[in-house]
Parts: sequence; structure tokens; C-alpha cells
Amino acid sequence: MNRFPNYRFLPYWLVMPSIIVIVIFLIFPFAQAINLSFHRVSPFGQLRNVGWRNYVEMFASPEYLFSLRNTVIFSALVIGVGLAVSLCIALLTTQKIRGTAFYQIAFIWTYAMSPIIAGVMWSLIFDPSIGVATRIISGLTGYSINYFTEPVAAFILVTAASVWVMLGYNICFFVAGLQNVPHNLKEAAWIDGASPWQTFWKVTFPLLSPTTAFLVFVNTVYAFFQSFGMIDVVTQGGPNRSTEFLIYKIYRDGFGRMQEGQAAAQSVFLFVIVAIIGAVQIYTSTRKSVYDR
Amino acid sequence: MFSIVARRMAVAVLVLAFVLGGIATAAAQPVKVEFWHSMTGSRLDVLNKVVADFNAINPNMQIEPVLVGTYEECLARFRAAYQAGQEPGIVQIYEVGTQAMHDSGMIIPAYQIPERLGENWDFGQYIRPIVQYYSKDGNLWSWPFASSTAMIYYNADHLRAAGLDPNKPPTTWQEMYEYGLKLIEAGVVKNALSFGWPDWMFENALALHDLEYANMGNGREGRPTSVSWPNEFTDELLTIWSKMARDGVWIYGGAEYNANGAFQSGEITFLMQSTSSLDGILKTVGDAFEVRTTFLPRLSDEYPRGNSLIGGNSLYVSNRVTDEELRVIFEFFKYISRTDVAVYWHKNTGYFPATNAAVKALMDEGWFTQSPNHLTAFLQILSGKSDTNASAGMRMGPFAQAREWVRTALEKIANGEDQRAALQYSAEQINALLREYNEFFE
Repeated sequence: MNRFPNYRFLPYWLVMPSIIVIVIFLIFPFAQAINLSFHRVSPFGQLRNVGWRNYVEMFASPEYLFSLRNTVIFSALVIGVGLAVSLCIALLTTQKIRGTAFYQIAFIWTYAMSPIIAGVMWSLIFDPSIGVATRIISGLTGYSINYFTEPVAAFILVTAASVWVMLGYNICFFVAGLQNVPHNLKEAAWIDGASPWQTFWKVTFPLLSPTTAFLVFVNTVYAFFQSFGMIDVVTQGGPNRSTEFLIYKIYRDGFGRMQEGQAAAQSVFLFVIVAIIGAVQIYTSTRKSVYDR
Repeated sequence: MFSIVARRMAVAVLVLAFVLGGIATAAAQPVKVEFWHSMTGSRLDVLNKVVADFNAINPNMQIEPVLVGTYEECLARFRAAYQAGQEPGIVQIYEVGTQAMHDSGMIIPAYQIPERLGENWDFGQYIRPIVQYYSKDGNLWSWPFASSTAMIYYNADHLRAAGLDPNKPPTTWQEMYEYGLKLIEAGVVKNALSFGWPDWMFENALALHDLEYANMGNGREGRPTSVSWPNEFTDELLTIWSKMARDGVWIYGGAEYNANGAFQSGEITFLMQSTSSLDGILKTVGDAFEVRTTFLPRLSDEYPRGNSLIGGNSLYVSNRVTDEELRVIFEFFKYISRTDVAVYWHKNTGYFPATNAAVKALMDEGWFTQSPNHLTAFLQILSGKSDTNASAGMRMGPFAQAREWVRTALEKIANGEDQRAALQYSAEQINALLREYNEFFE
């Protein structure tokens, strides 16, 4: 059992730096956030204890519930549409066609772009008055999109841009995953008379499940936390708060609207949500994914 | 025993030597003061030049400008930094933060700065509406710096193309609406009008008709408890705005400066925007079309005349600066009030030159004849009144949030929702915020 016979304390020394970093940068701020969530902060920094009021008002606030609802829809779209599209593209680029490497790189490079840059690009392309796409669409259909005022347009824009940004990353992992699917299994399926469709769903997809499970988790984290940069650049949460997702609302409430207490309460709740999602995903991915060949 | 004492003494001597050495080197270095600001775009270079010139002529003083983000972020960061004891000596705060800064207990009111240094300074030299805006009980609380107001920018070529007289831009909202329809009909543009800072345009519309935004004397006689709208005026105004949105005359242009792009590329004819965009717009447009400017539109003469609002920002000083630092800050403030500096600042940004002397110098050198667009905002704000609470500008603690709620209402209206319901909802939200803010003072 004793792996370090003559060095009883060595393991503790070795993990100490990580523990210190975690305590200082994670545990301590988290404890502070919990404390803050029971207070209201005046614009000049005084704290006033308000008990559970921040939490009670949070769940009673139509704006918060709206934000929660939109975040759930947004995440579902980013994960669902994003993974489906990436898997399709990954399948196409792993076919035996000329220039596979070119296509793979062409699809993957978008991940090298920061969400901020992607956001600026998309917001210019769809700018209501000078955007290229806006012009083309209004030329074809006569309808001009204005994502500054139309909540649905803004929501779709942000979602599409977020899916697009994550495409490269997802494709990259799917391509790697697909290349690891043993060819002899697929051949065996063909010989047994399985259609390509059946082969994909019965052989390839189950064997991809560790990759898929991993990507679901990464995309969830992306939708919940990393979409921030995109939102901040493209819509700033507007119009009419339609793109004010939970993480962005915390930032707006805490730093823009100077309601730190309320923002702290929201961040504690967001932590609970993400912790549950994470636990469920790790549980299902370790139990359900097919790791054996 | 003896050796321990000796060692301790040696250590003490060493420490002392280091401390004294530190002080000696510190004395040789210039006194540094950080200056947090939000001047982005073309204004950043102008500001850096002003600061660099000051540092060059004052070798023993050094102002260090730091761009800390948007106005909103600057305010939030100053507050957080103050609590952590890391705040800068000077911070630039937008007009929205005025009440919060007054209530903060973190600053030295501007009028006390010369007093504390045993000097005198004549605050009468600054343009009256600016002084009014930033004063409390007749004393100036922040140093006037980059003040602006809103005006209309218009594309004179568009008016000509639509058969309209470019010398007669719209003066009322009704006319604006009609002009817009004509421009669209003539096929010159698809949308005629857009705003920057839509929430501020709403505030401006009230002030322009001498109407108060909030109770308690527009927040100038006490902390307001509720906003004064929706009322008959906002009803009338927003009815026209709704119609303009419906007919495509008004296209909502985002929260801050997004609409400028549409104007500069000739997509719209009218832009309501801060004067601080003037130089940026003139430079970008160049000779592509003729940019002209005029006063903000009024609703009708049934309402009294007020004034457009002072916007932009002013400078606050932390109340924890040393006298030595305060001396540097005061010298810097005196420097930016110098006529040549104020003139340079105005010519390159479009912000008002803050002092009367600078205005005279500009007039004497023929600047306003040479660039009449630089005069528009002046004439507008100096020809209006500034002695009523309504025209001097409102003051409220949760102003930033209030603006966001007004913006939300305007976004709904631009998107075709019922204006009364939209505004009513936002008013209720703001009133709740006002109650919450006032709870801190109970």
C-alpha cells in the first residue's frame, strides 16, 4: 500500500502547490461569493445583510427566469445543432476523397479564432445597415434583419455564431474519434449486409460515444461560460435582454448595474446548475460510453 | 547572547539603510498619479498627447493615463479598487455616475481641491451649463473635462437628392417624420434616422421641453423616489417614434456608437448622436458627402423650452491622495483648463472647450466660421436655459440601470410593441431601483 516507503510526507508536499492555488483562487472566492449573496452592496461599498432576499427575488424576477429559459434553449441548440453539424462534416471529411487534409484543415481552423474576433465578424456581416448578409437577404426576400431590435434575430445570430466558433474543435475531435473506429468492424457489418445507415448507427456511433460524451461536456461548459465574449461583442445581452444568458447577466448585474449581492446569488445558483450537469454527464459518460472494443 | 544582539543591530542598520535609500531614490523620481479613463477610438490619441505634453513640461510630475474600459466598467473598477486601496488619483466618470460618486464618500469635491492646497481657483471661467450640471449646492464637485451634448448630424446630399432644402433641416419630430417618408419615397435611403445612446436621447427630449425626468426636483433637491413618466409628453413623443419605426423612418441603431457606421456609409440621412463623435464622423466621411449639423428636434411649442443635456464625463479625485499627489493633480487640472489645451482638445474631439477663454480664442481665430459644425452644439446649449432643474439634468443613484430600462423600452417600441406598456414597465422597474438605492440611506 505504501508507495513511498521512506517519504511519508512527500506526496503531501507534492500536491501542496495545487492545493494552495485551488484554495486561493477557487475556494476562497467561492466562499466570498456565498457570503456576498446574502448581502446588498451600496454603490460605495457598504454591505447590508438581507438574508435570503437576493435568492427569493432572483426566482421571483421575470428577467432572471427569462434569462434561465434562454440559456437552456441556447445551450441545447449549441450542443445539439453544433454536435450534429460537426459530426456530419467530420464524416464527410473522413471519406476517401481527394484533398481530405485540405477540407479537414479548412473546417478546423475556425477554432483558432477567438470568440471575440468571430463575434466582431458576425456582427459586421449581419449589421442592420452595412452588413453583407443583411443586404443579400433583403435583396432576395425584401426583409431586412435588424438584430439590434429583434430579439429572435439576435438570439439566432448569437447561437449560429457560437455553433460556428465551436465547429472546428468539435470536428477535430470527431475526426480523431472516427479514425479510431476499427475498419474491420465496419467491414464485418457490410459483409453481414448492413446498410451504410445501419453501420453508422450500430457500429460507428456507439464506438464514438466516449468522444461524443466528452464533447457534450465541453460544449456545455462553452455554452454556459465561454459564450460570454461573443455576447459582449455582438449584442451586450440585448435587445430586450433576449441574449442576456446567465453568465452575462451575472456580469451585467455585478459590474454594470452595481448589484453585486444579487449577482453573487446568481453565480452561486449557476454553480449549482453546472455542478449537477457535470456530475450527471460524468456519471453517464463513464457508465454508458462504450470504451471496450 | 552578545552575538545575537550584534546581529540584530546589523540587521536593523541594514533595514534602515534600505529604507533611507528608498526614500532618497523616491525623492529624485517624479510624483506619479494614475489617471483612469475610457477614451477610446480617435479620442485616445488626443488624450495621450495632452497628458504627454503635460508630463514633458513638468519633469517632476507624471500623470499615467490608463484606459480601463467603458465608462460603466471604469466606474465599477474605481469602486472595487477603492475598497482594495488600489484606486488611481484621478478617475474619469461619465455623467451617469454623478450621484453615485457624490454619495460615495470616496472623492474630494473639486471645489475643495484649491482650498486644501491653500490656493484659489475661479470656477466662473467654465461654461455655465457644464458647471450647473456637475454642481451640488452651488459648488462644483468634479473637474469639467470632456463635456458634450446631443445634436442632429445630417447628410445634405441626401436632402438634395430627395428634392428637400438642405438649409431647412427638420426642427420638429413631425417634420423629421415627414422628411423621412420623403427620403424613403424618393429612394434615397431605406431608413432615414438612427440614434446613438437612445436612452440619452429620451432624456434629452424631456430636458429640451423643460420637463423633469424624476421627482425631488429632478433629483437635484433630494434623492428621487420615482420617475415622472409616462406622461402626456412621452405619450405624444413615443407615438411619433412608434410610427417612425413602423414606417422604417427610424431604425434602431444600438446602444452607443453603432449607428455612426450607418451614417458614415450613407445608409441613413439623420443621426442623433453626441457631439463627441463630430471629429470622428468628419474624418471618416471626408469628401464623400456633405455633413451638416443642427439642433435636436422639438415636439411642439405647447411645451416650454428647456435645453439639451450635458453629457460626456468629468474628473474625480480620490480622497486618499497625499498633498504631494494632489498638487500634481491640481497642476494637471489647471493645465487642461489652459486655453491652448482646451482649444486643442475641442478641435480634435468635438467635446466642448470647457472654458469661456477657450471659446473666445476659437471665435477670434475664426474656427467657427471655418468649421460651423463645431458651433452647432454650442449655440444649442448656450441658447437654452440652464437654471431649471429639468434643463440642468437629472441626478439619480441607479442611473446606469435606469438607462438600461429606458433602452429596453425603446427597443421594444422600435420592434413594434405598444409604447405605453413598454414605458410603463420600465418606469416601474426604475422606481423599484430607486427605492432600493434609497434604502441604503435609511
